[in-house]
Order: sequence, then structure tokens, then C-alpha cells
Amino acid sequence: MTGFILRRLAQLLPVLLIASLGIWAMIYAVPGSPVAVIVGENATPEQIREVTVRLGLDRPLIVQYGAWLWAALHGDLGLSIQSREPVLALILGRLPPTLQLGLAAILVGLVVGIPVALASALRPGSWLDRVLSGWSALALGVPTFWLGILLILLFAVELHWLPSASSYVPFTEAPLAALRNIALPAVTLGLYVSGIFARFLRAALIGELRADYVRTARSKGLRERDVVGGHVMRNAMLPFVTIVGLMLASFVGGTVVTEAVFTYPGLGRLLIQAIGTRDYPLIQGCILLVLLLYMGVNLMVDVLYAYIDPRIDFG
Amino acid sequence: MSGVVWRLLGRREALLSLLYFIAIVGAAVFARLLFSIDPLEQDLGNTLDPPSWKHWFGTDELGRDLMVRTVYGARTSLLTAAGAVLIAASVGVPIGLVAGFFGGWRDGLLMRVVDVLLALPGILFAMALIAVLGRSQMTALVAVGITGIPSFARVTRAQVLSLRQRDFVLAVEALGGSATYNIFRTVLPNAWSPILVQMVILASVAILLEAALSFLGVGIPPPTPSWGDMLRTGKGFLHEAPYYAVLPGIVLTCTILALDTLGRALAAVLEAPEPGMAPPDGEGP
Repeated sequence: MTGFILRRLAQLLPVLLIASLGIWAMIYAVPGSPVAVIVGENATPEQIREVTVRLGLDRPLIVQYGAWLWAALHGDLGLSIQSREPVLALILGRLPPTLQLGLAAILVGLVVGIPVALASALRPGSWLDRVLSGWSALALGVPTFWLGILLILLFAVELHWLPSASSYVPFTEAPLAALRNIALPAVTLGLYVSGIFARFLRAALIGELRADYVRTARSKGLRERDVVGGHVMRNAMLPFVTIVGLMLASFVGGTVVTEAVFTYPGLGRLLIQAIGTRDYPLIQGCILLVLLLYMGVNLMVDVLYAYIDPRIDFG
Repeated sequence: MSGVVWRLLGRREALLSLLYFIAIVGAAVFARLLFSIDPLEQDLGNTLDPPSWKHWFGTDELGRDLMVRTVYGARTSLLTAAGAVLIAASVGVPIGLVAGFFGGWRDGLLMRVVDVLLALPGILFAMALIAVLGRSQMTALVAVGITGIPSFARVTRAQVLSLRQRDFVLAVEALGGSATYNIFRTVLPNAWSPILVQMVILASVAILLEAALSFLGVGIPPPTPSWGDMLRTGKGFLHEAPYYAVLPGIVLTCTILALDTLGRALAAVLEAPEPGMAPPDGEGP
């Protein structure tokens, strides 16, 4: 198992290295010199020279990249141009809200998606299946930001049940207040996630329900609940987990957009603010961290996949 | 070919989607003929008017007609999507062709590049590119286009890999046909159907991505009408003018759903085994 994880990590390394090169090179691709980007357009030649030397921008590019990567590996992502605070601290401060939103959305996705998939897969082609399949298509097709607006309109503007802008309250500190704040963003993103879950789990379940072992299990007189719960579900989870892994990218994108809709103080909002103020060290840091998170979760999905499928050899 | 079209039109959801899409494209192309009002024309005496006979979608905070802006927004969206699909296909398809046809180190190298592109979620990649190049319709188009390259490369490669060992491809090779000839005259014509499906599906993804970028305030800069930007501004007037963010959103959602449905129906029709005898032209189901 450890060997398997190490091998997967080794495969990720070159991708991470090239991607980090791209993120580092970003600042050099901006029209104008990187120093001008950092000190502003009205800087005097003396200021520019001073910053150039201080930041080591007069060294060869490869040395600069090496220094940047070395510092990044040690948790030093530089200072934000706007707030002059360390980028890593700014990012770590925004991580818990984003993780809380992500987990809540996945929970909503599972609670809605799995029953929908089961109900439609057990009677494929029925009117219920057609309605539920249409519903998953809708959940996947409706832009998250528009769904969020509709939910705000209904629950905040019309009914006054929930706040239209969500602030971050840690669930462990004040569960009720946290629920009130996270409900709308979590449902917005969670409905999209439930669409993914429902569509792909349904397909996997239908494939499994046609298998010979299901007929054998039924002919043995096994209760339908045991056939589906004990056999079919476990086998259907395999292709399903892969798909969920593949759909992670759109989930991360969905988090950024959902945070913007509800002015929720997460990582996505930080990135958008950084782009708005052209705060390049902060932009680089945010993207690097999201990349790491995304790759980490992908790795977890891979390991999970290998773990639940006894046929895969960790060797 | 005409058999495919007829079978596609035989599916009710595909026919409806196609009709909707044609209507949107028609309205976008003939916007100037359909409406005498300019999408940028302000009327500060009639700001945030609710929908009426004069303004079907109401007016925005500057008194501009929202229906006209939605139709001109379709123009922005469709142009961006078309450009993005063109960029993604013209880079992704050759990558897939070369990687799948030659295999070996070329395959390894090209697919690693594709992996790097896939390493970052599309919307973040697009945002990073916009942060570097600045906001403009061109940047949005290029950014969305680049995020679509991996899907074309992978789909094409998979198709080429399965065609590579087929007799007719090997025959061309044995007869001394050049690799270029073989790729473009033998392999590509037989690989087009999943590429076509990918184009339709990517168009819907591109429209969604462009709208998301504009909604986040990093996409197409105002005052050019764009659906995402209208929703972004409309969100600020949910109390005074709820229709502002709702009506353009319906058009956006329907467009995305129509293209997605069309892509899926096309995939189903192309993948389904041809009926024993292709129906003669004009007599399809």
C-alpha cells in the first residue's frame, strides 16, 4: 500500500514541477517588468533598482526559479502586495471556510444523489427514472451562480429565512449558526454534486444489476435489499469513485463560483480579490495551494479506489 | 451522414434543443434587424423598470433594455464559445493524432503536457491567464479554448489508437503512403464522430465557463453585454428588480442545456449500431 502511494506520488512529481514552473513564470508573462508589477507603475528608477536587488530579480532566471521553489517548499510564498502580510498565512486563514463548504456540499450531494441513483436504477426506463434522470441533467446544467441567485431570491429576499450573504462560522463552535450560514451555499454546490453522483452511480448500478451474480443471488432467494446493499452497491462504487475523482476539477471551480455568489470568505474569494488588485504573489500562492489540494484529493481518490477494489494489486 | 441527421431529429429532446439553439443563433446574428434599440443605449428616466410590452425583460440600472442586452449577450457568448472550440480542436486534435498514431516518446511527451493542463481546474487556469494578460473578450476566448485542449487530445488519441491497427490503415502504410497522408486521409476521416460530439459538448462548457468568468468579474469587461456580467450586476438588485438576474439566467441555462442535450443525443446516435439498411434519404424515422 505504501509503495503504491509512493509510486503515485512519483508520477505526480513531474506534473507538479512543470505546473509550479508555469505558476512562477506567470509574473514574467505580465506585460511590463515584474518589478513594476510589484512596486507599481509610478516607482522611481531608484526604487525599481532597490526592489530588483532585494528580491534577487537581477539573478539568472533558473536561479530565481530555484530560489522561489525552495522558499515555497519551506512555506515561504512571499508577501502580499496589498496587505504586506505573508501569503501563506492569508491562504491558511481562508482554508477552513472553503473546506467546510466543500464537505457540506459533498454531504448534500450524497444525501440527495444516492437515493436518486438507486430509485432510477432499480426501475430503468420507468416514469420515475425519466423524471429523476431529467432532474440530474438539470442539476448538472444549471449554472451554480444562477442557482445560487435563485435560492437567495427565495430563501433570503422573499421568505427571510436565511442570510443572503454567508459568513464563516466554524461548525464545531456554533453548529446552529454555522448551519444557517452554510445552508444556501452548501445546497447550491451540493445540488450540482448530487447531479454528478446520481448520473454516474445510476449508470454503474444499472450495469451491475444486469450481471450474472445478481441473478444467482436472487435465485438463491436473497432479499432484494441484501442483493442491492450487499453486492450491487459495493461493485458499483468502483467506476463511481473514478468518475467522482475526474469530476473534482469542476467541483473546485464550483467552490470558487459559489463563494462569489454568497460573498463567502473562502479561498476562491481571496483569489478573485487578488486578481482584482493584481496581487501576484497572492495569486501565485492561491493557485499553487489549490493545485496541491486538487492533486492531494485526486491521490486520495486513487488510493480509495485501490482500497475498495481487492483486485487491484498494490505491489 | 443524412441517416445520422434523421436519426438525431427523430429524438424529441434533440429536435427541441436544436430548434432552441437555431433560434438563439438566429437572434444573435440578426440582432440589429430584430431590435431598433442599441444594447448600450441608456435611458436614465426608466431604470429598473419591470418587464412590460415595451421592455419584455425589463430595464437595468441604467435604463438599458434587458431583452436586447440578453440577445447581444448571446452574440458575445456564442462567439466566445465558437472561438474557444476552434482553438481547442485545432490544437487538441493534432496532439491526439500524433500521440495516438506514432506512440512511443511522442505519445509520452504530448500526453504529459496534456496532464499538466489537466492538473489545474479549468476555471482556475482561465483566471490565472486572465490575471496575466488582462481582461478582454480575446483573453477570455483564448483561456476557455486552452482549457478545452486536453479533452480533444484525449478523445482523438483514444480513437486513433483503436484505428491504428485496423487493416485499411496498415494497408496504406504497407503501400508506402506517408504518415501525413495516412493520418489526414485515412485515420482522421474515420475518427471524426467523437470529435464532433466533443465539439458540441465543449461549446456548452465554454458558454458556462465564459459566463462564470464574467460573473466573477474577470471575464469580458463591461459595457459589452455578456450573460455572466448581467447576472453579476443583477444580483445587486435582487430586492428592487428580481427579474434582472432571473430572465437572462433562464436564457443562459437553456442554451447550456440545449447544447449538452444535443451533444449527448449525437453521441447516442453515432454510437448506436447503424440500422440494417440505412433509410433512404427523406424517409428516415
